Amino acid sequence: MTLLAALFSHYRRHPLQLLALATMIVLATMLWTGVYHLTSQARASLDQSESAVAERQQVTREDGTRMTVADFVELRRAGLCVMPWLEVSSPEGGRLVGVDPLAAGCFEQPASEEAPWQGELDGRPFVDISEAAELVREQAGQLSLLISDAGSIGGLPAGYRLAPFRVGPDTGELGDSFLLNLDALGVLVLLITALLVRSVYLLGMAQRRDSFALLHRFGVPQSRVNRLLVVEILLLALVCIVPGIWLGRWLATGLGSGFGQALEGLFDQSLYAGQGGNWLVPLATMLAVVLVACLADFLRPLARRLVGGNRRSGGSVLLMLVAGLALSVWVMDLLWLFVAVAMVFVAAGILAPGLIAWLADRRAESDRDLQARWRHRELSVLARRLALPLVALQFAMAMVLAVQALVTTFEGTFDRWLAQRLEADFYIEVPETGDLAPALDWLAAQPELAASGLWHRVIRGRATLPGGEDRTGTNVDVFALGPVGPLVTDWQLFESTPQPWQGLQQGEGVMVNEQLARRHGVRVGQNLTVVLGGQSIEFPVLAVYPDYGRPAGEILVNASMLPPDFTIGFQSLSVSPGNLSIDTVTDELRRIWQVEELTVRDNRAIKELASAIFDQTFLLTRAMTTLTLILAAIALLMMGWVFFSTRAWYFRLLVVWGLSRRQASAQLIRLSVALTGAIALLALPLGIWLTWVLVHRINPIAFGWSLPMAVYPEFWLELGVLSLLIGLCIALLMSRQLKSPTVAPVNANALAGGDR
Amino acid sequence: MVDSLLRARGLNKQFRSGNEPVQVFRDLSLRLDEGDSLALTGRSGSGKSTLLNILCGLEKPDAGLVEVLGETFDSRKPEVPAKNEARWGNLRRQRIGVVFQEANLMPALSLLDNVRFRARLAGQSEEECQDWLERLGIGELADRFPDQVSGGQRQRAALAMVFAMKPALILADEPTGSLDRQTAEAVIGQLFELQARHGCGLILATHDPELAARCGRHLDLGHLSET
Repeated sequence: MTLLAALFSHYRRHPLQLLALATMIVLATMLWTGVYHLTSQARASLDQSESAVAERQQVTREDGTRMTVADFVELRRAGLCVMPWLEVSSPEGGRLVGVDPLAAGCFEQPASEEAPWQGELDGRPFVDISEAAELVREQAGQLSLLISDAGSIGGLPAGYRLAPFRVGPDTGELGDSFLLNLDALGVLVLLITALLVRSVYLLGMAQRRDSFALLHRFGVPQSRVNRLLVVEILLLALVCIVPGIWLGRWLATGLGSGFGQALEGLFDQSLYAGQGGNWLVPLATMLAVVLVACLADFLRPLARRLVGGNRRSGGSVLLMLVAGLALSVWVMDLLWLFVAVAMVFVAAGILAPGLIAWLADRRAESDRDLQARWRHRELSVLARRLALPLVALQFAMAMVLAVQALVTTFEGTFDRWLAQRLEADFYIEVPETGDLAPALDWLAAQPELAASGLWHRVIRGRATLPGGEDRTGTNVDVFALGPVGPLVTDWQLFESTPQPWQGLQQGEGVMVNEQLARRHGVRVGQNLTVVLGGQSIEFPVLAVYPDYGRPAGEILVNASMLPPDFTIGFQSLSVSPGNLSIDTVTDELRRIWQVEELTVRDNRAIKELASAIFDQTFLLTRAMTTLTLILAAIALLMMGWVFFSTRAWYFRLLVVWGLSRRQASAQLIRLSVALTGAIALLALPLGIWLTWVLVHRINPIAFGWSLPMAVYPEFWLELGVLSLLIGLCIALLMSRQLKSPTVAPVNANALAGGDR
Repeated sequence: MVDSLLRARGLNKQFRSGNEPVQVFRDLSLRLDEGDSLALTGRSGSGKSTLLNILCGLEKPDAGLVEVLGETFDSRKPEVPAKNEARWGNLRRQRIGVVFQEANLMPALSLLDNVRFRARLAGQSEEECQDWLERLGIGELADRFPDQVSGGQRQRAALAMVFAMKPALILADEPTGSLDRQTAEAVIGQLFELQARHGCGLILATHDPELAARCGRHLDLGHLSET
């Protein structure tokens, strides 16, 4: 028999232990690969979108008026390489972008990089500018002039300036932040899986200690045993990681399409790249995690040499906790915020089992009842011996608490916000050629509409807030409406002046969304200078409103306040027809605008679709975190069961001393439930703190908007019940061992169960 | 007439090893009176521990009758298991002391707390617990935990636990099996001395012929003969 065979004989004798370790590696790999795969898909999708909407420079007139062909000619005469970009509505629907292929020649692109005007972007095909120009004769279109060399700003003729030009929404910062969140979730999951794998592995090692000692007595060098252990775990890892990765990818792909839709809903843009990520990264990562988790003891002397100490002191861990908490309050940078989260988690993980053991020991000292004293001492032993799976469970519980609170808060907030934004039953797009005035007159003259219906017009466009570092100003969305009525007046506002809607109706000021208020420090009551069309107008800020999910800042203004030269990007009517049928409204509008078809959106259907998409996201998020929790619970269950087996004799001793098996089982239940209950209690503040970090720190820094901080005691209760169930399961599994008369006391010390 | 502490008649026990039945003992009978000591000997696997377990209700015989300290357990008269277990539990808690080869103490309790715990379960006073440790020569170790004392000291503490409960019957399964000869001599000397002084019955399972010879009677389970 070879040495390897002798070593491996342990698993031949205890195949369930091998199965447990293999299962844990497979599940851990599946979980992390799932998260990694989803993150990779999101990253690939965002990269794809980013390259498509990469920011370029355009030339605009300083007076804010539209660019014309004359401007193009003047700039070309000045020797500047500019390319006209003419965006119009397509007769078949959608948008067309006309570009000049000759002028595009000066935009030299590396062969590997596709120019943004090639192919298709966001459903808009690119055509020769002459085709687009034909359409401009029939409808309004917007001419932009892209400049190839941003460095030529010095050569710009008077009256012109450079401005950023984007062909899509600004997803850069938002995307990065979102990916950072996903990465953070991945790291947390990786940490939990590492703890789980290590806890199951150490269990087997504890039981093999006698075999190692025997080999040592037989003269086998320790280094040789260690090498064989590395080979053993390497082989096991390779065998288990591959199916784990396959399962993880299957999980992510299964959930991915819904996730992609959710991303699209969040960012208003197609972001899902389909297949993302590869096999190599999860394989290498999980291999490293399994090796480090299982063989960390070999690395410990090296770590000691590096840090120059043998023990970590409780004081330094406490200091790390306090520093992490303090950092989480003060830092304004996402990376440092994640460092703070890591510090708090590591410190909490080190402190939690020690704290339970310390409290149990203190209770034991003060207990006059010897049975209670014994039970508390046993609790202390268990907390120390099951530290790793306990900490994994604590982290998983904290993560579930935080994610559940976040998702539930978001669900409620999103529903309310969606209801606000889609308050009208129908949304009718105003055609490019449509004259709005007679339509508005007709709507205002309908008695049924006045009695039972609601409507307002919506104008969307862009404005500029002067200033900024490059002095080109900041573009913001304009949301103009009128008349200001019940479709908007019950919107939730973060802060406002008295009677803000009345003020808006009377054109006394504007409202700003939360993103604009946060990024530019805009406060209610202050005056905000906005460049609308060619005019710079100063508006008092009447209120700040929530606007979840929108990357950009937005101002809400009464449509009557827009200057005549304001460039209308888009116009629509929001109508709840009441007793009037929507067909009557659309028939009349078609007659007024003399068009055959109108684009009419049923907002209820959109609301249902959006809700369904978000529900899927929430479901996915909950599923991933719950899966992590289940994995942690299973690990504790396995560890608890096996470790309790090593203590089985001492519970059986109670039976020998005359307690009934039922009484001994009751002691066991009290003990295991106390253990899992204690860790759930310690997970609670960690979870609440993590919720606060996500809601009040990460979200505002990353996304520019915040969710209301809410706690959900029913989740705490659910988690408490779950922890009790885990404790009960351990006790029930263990109680079976009490029934067996063959439990031998000689095994107890050999299994290192004689701790106190 | 001396009262009988324990009588067993027609005890049968067999195990299964794989698919093969293994007969441990068949039609075994024994009797123990107050103040008597009986040695159980026999090779490993002859059923010494199994018999002790049956005599204190930790295992059930396949057939047979056990009368112990006024309670009768007859395999022909099946009772509600919980009721039987409760009767055995009462006996073990208050009147039957069991000593194993090792691991007789709760590792998380000090020696004194172990003795007090056992006395409390038996309904005895805790005041004498320190005295019992003193009498067994380990009084100064009362606050130590089991892993902080030697094997011999742990077995002495186990004896202190048994005597603190004031048992009528002591069942000892290789109580000195893990001790060196000198320590074993000292521990077993104390066991016999205290058993004689308190007049309780003793059944001792052992491999050691010299130790068996110190008991009043001897039952060899290997040959099932009593001397």
